[in-house]
Amino acid sequence: MSPIGVDEWVARSGDRRQQHSGPLGALSRAYARVNWWQRLLVLAALGVAFGQIGANGFQQIVAFNSVLYAILAVGLNIVVGWAGLLDLGYIAFFGIGAYGYAMFSSHALGSLLTMTGGAELPTIAAVPIVLVFAGLVGMVIGLISLRLGGDYLAIVTLFFGLAFFEFVNNVDQTNLGGNNGIIALLPWHGFGGEIRSTIGYYYVVLIILILLMAALHLLNESRTGRAWRAVRDDELAAEVMTVPVNAVKVMAFSFGAMVAALAGTVFAAQQGNVFPTNFQSPILILIYACLVLGGVGSIGGAVLGGLAVTIVQQMLGSPTDEGYLFYGIILLALFWKVRPWQYLAATLAAIVGFGFAAHAIAGAISRSAIAGPTGSVGWIGSALRHWVVVPVNGETYGNILFVVVVCALIGIIRLRGIVRLVAVVPTIYFAACCWESRLSVDPAITAEIMIGGILVVMMAVRPHGILGTRRVEIV
Amino acid sequence: MQIFIQTLVNGLTTGSLYALIALGYTMVYGVLKLLNFAHGDLFMVGAFIGYFAIGWFGGPTALTIPVPLLVIIMLVIASLGVGGLGVAIERFAYRPLRNAPRIAPLITALGISFVLENAVLLFFGGLTRYYNTPAFIPFSISIHIDGVSIGIVNIIIFAGSIILMLGLTALVNRTVLGKSMRAVASDREAAEMLGINVDRTIAMTFFIGSALAGAAGVMYGLYANQVANLIGFLAGLKAFTAAVVGGIGSIPGAMIGGMFIGLCESFSLSYISTRYGDLFVFAILIAVMLVRPTGIFGQAPLQKV
Amino acid sequence: MAPLLELDSVRLAFGGLRALHDLDLYVNEHEIVSVIGPNGAGKSTVFNVVTGIYRPGGDIRFDGKSIVGRRPHKITNLGIARTFQSLRLFLNMTVKENVKTATYGTTHATPIESMLRLPRARREAREVDARAEDVLSFFGERLQGYRFDQPAYSLSYANRRRLEIARAMATGARLLLLDEPAAGMNPNETHEITELIGRLRDERGYTILVIEHDMHVVEGISDRVIALDHGEKLTEGSFHEVANHPDVVEAYLGRNPEALQQ
Repeated sequence: MSPIGVDEWVARSGDRRQQHSGPLGALSRAYARVNWWQRLLVLAALGVAFGQIGANGFQQIVAFNSVLYAILAVGLNIVVGWAGLLDLGYIAFFGIGAYGYAMFSSHALGSLLTMTGGAELPTIAAVPIVLVFAGLVGMVIGLISLRLGGDYLAIVTLFFGLAFFEFVNNVDQTNLGGNNGIIALLPWHGFGGEIRSTIGYYYVVLIILILLMAALHLLNESRTGRAWRAVRDDELAAEVMTVPVNAVKVMAFSFGAMVAALAGTVFAAQQGNVFPTNFQSPILILIYACLVLGGVGSIGGAVLGGLAVTIVQQMLGSPTDEGYLFYGIILLALFWKVRPWQYLAATLAAIVGFGFAAHAIAGAISRSAIAGPTGSVGWIGSALRHWVVVPVNGETYGNILFVVVVCALIGIIRLRGIVRLVAVVPTIYFAACCWESRLSVDPAITAEIMIGGILVVMMAVRPHGILGTRRVEIV
Repeated sequence: MQIFIQTLVNGLTTGSLYALIALGYTMVYGVLKLLNFAHGDLFMVGAFIGYFAIGWFGGPTALTIPVPLLVIIMLVIASLGVGGLGVAIERFAYRPLRNAPRIAPLITALGISFVLENAVLLFFGGLTRYYNTPAFIPFSISIHIDGVSIGIVNIIIFAGSIILMLGLTALVNRTVLGKSMRAVASDREAAEMLGINVDRTIAMTFFIGSALAGAAGVMYGLYANQVANLIGFLAGLKAFTAAVVGGIGSIPGAMIGGMFIGLCESFSLSYISTRYGDLFVFAILIAVMLVRPTGIFGQAPLQKV
Repeated sequence: MAPLLELDSVRLAFGGLRALHDLDLYVNEHEIVSVIGPNGAGKSTVFNVVTGIYRPGGDIRFDGKSIVGRRPHKITNLGIARTFQSLRLFLNMTVKENVKTATYGTTHATPIESMLRLPRARREAREVDARAEDVLSFFGERLQGYRFDQPAYSLSYANRRRLEIARAMATGARLLLLDEPAAGMNPNETHEITELIGRLRDERGYTILVIEHDMHVVEGISDRVIALDHGEKLTEGSFHEVANHPDVVEAYLGRNPEALQQ
């Protein structure tokens, strides 16, 4: 390597400017020095370690689900992030995997085949068959998509996802169970043992995830990965540069389908049953939120997004934990964004003071205005009782506050400097009141709104996600 | 024969609704090259606004104003409300993404659709709300042909849609705003350089398209008698199919496509099976996409290599 | 010796617009031929038709075999590579990756082999890497060293043009179609490009068909010049013959108004 000359120093100034300063910069530089497979080993070790600590049932389910969705996000990343194809029917492949496994591991196929007990294949046979089938379906969808540009592709695949749901819900009730699904599935078994516990399936998906990450990283660095990414960047140029664009697109669909199907088989086995409602649009949007948040085009991003979004969504389902989540995120955002520390302290003090003042005023006006129950339980609830304004019938109040907070947030984006900080104070207080009176009462819906919000906000603010790299596109 | 005419009537009615929604899709696609997934949910919001409007005026059984006035007020309020919502969505969600890669606004639209569906769920719960139309619009007022009844609601919807579509055609072809819309749809940069206020034109396009969807929502409520937070999803998809079949970006295409899809769905429900109606529409879409991707009236975009 | 590339009565129309009208053209091996003509003459369309982006009427033969109707990536594999008038790099990929992508057609490792790092995949990866470095070294120090891993969007305009040519070279083609390689370059860079094109033929044995507007470049490199207008060939020959041909002068400068009045 020749010593760096002036030209190179100038040429690299852009890279230097992009690097972070301070502890985050040191961290990212250290991260870059480590090999990819070393990072993977660390991740695997962390995963195993987590499995060893005594987690309760709920935490085990959360862990299993987050790794499962990480796998789904990684698979989606192949189609959307690398090949640049907007596949909105991805959920159907997840469903094909789950239903396929269900059909081969239960009594469901009894009437179709002459075997009276249905086809109960050993896992080592069932899973590969399902994967191959999913890959073929992926190819067919890919072939159909060849004619379509980005927008049409999205709609056609969306329809395909819908058609899958309609199919398993309405068609062939005897074999597919209709909306009662297929139950009593065999767990994953083989070599004399079987996996029945959630923690067992956690290890299964962890192993799958680690192997998948390694395999896909190697694939991405190879000619196939370059071909996909070239197709995403400029399809026409790729075609004239020896890349068989159509074959590459079909291959991307196929690979993504197989990954989703694999996740589907584990999902079905862990749950012990499959229902059509497991594969509807909200789940698809959840997977997209995982990928978009974590970083489209990055394996690590997909995993991070999968873990983060699922953990958040599941935490919102638990009344004791949701308060930690909500207030934790707000505090985190404040600590991250408000600098220097004097401003931060002032803002926090202002929020607290504003709240008590509002509470006192509301209480003076009407006793029932503050008599309602807070949504948060435990010590958070009791601490906030005298701070938030929650009327007795808080539903409509909460709804109106929700709209107010959304509008306020939009307004805050347009403001700058001190004015923005001043506006943030009441906004956060109203958000807390809204949370206590309405959102924490219906956390499932709140979770869904949050997920939709992730898509909207990320695309506007940081389209490449947390771990993705900024892209340049010629539009 | 009876069944045939009844099916025809139903098909034209739902077809009118699909046409109105499809118009919004096609207009927005024309100016922004964006498929607004959230459009169907705007339809749903319109239906809800209509529902509450009935309540504001005394409820289905005790109306404080005459029925024709109520219907007109419902349509107006829903159109304005949903139109405004559409403009707000465009302003805050889509405008920052004007020059972003194509995938970004599509994902944003997906997110907004989801947020709208769940926000309505949060505010109003998941229970289906009933317009209770027969209570104030007597279904017995209808034209009878050969034992087939064409209810007054069908006539309202069909006639109303035709009026709105004629109005829209006049707007697009005869007014300056219409010309601006066509210019922006053709080449946004050039339009801007020629002094057309592109932001305002796009906002107006969204307003009109969303207003049409809102009106369609009210009409749907009157016709089907019930509204729930997920009606927008499926209606939106079918209306989108209509827009594509007719040629996305083409206004007459959306109208014809809407009628076509409505009739197809109606006939497949009558003569094939009630369970496969949606799948049938899906099959039509695939067929059109494979055979003539640009639709009936659409034009393939020219790309300079 | 049969020409390497032969266009035989090629016709192409976009609706009512005739882009190419019974065009006959040939390029011999190791020749450098320039195509000139006013804007809209159909020059880029010739490239598009040869590389299979559009399907024309008539016949196009490369190395004796007809290539009309084949898919573009197959045509490139046969030995024809091009650059684009408006650059079409893979902007989000690194310099080296841009070049390596073009080797897809000459490598055969399947995804499974790549994932498991089987011998063929590893061997091909080494070969592809060596080929990329070899091709990039042709351009001197400009696309070497630290540049390998820089994303293509960070390159200067002139470097992007060079990278496009490098990418075309990496396909293993014998015939290069360069679409306005000197567009937007200052005199220094233009001179460099002129030398580069000559070196491409002398050192690496390429046959080159160039579209160019800059007459200095055309004069400096061409064995033969073909002039097009309105999709038809006006004339061909040496630079001097073509530049002074009355039809060519008229196409570029218009007819002499005094001559019109007579």
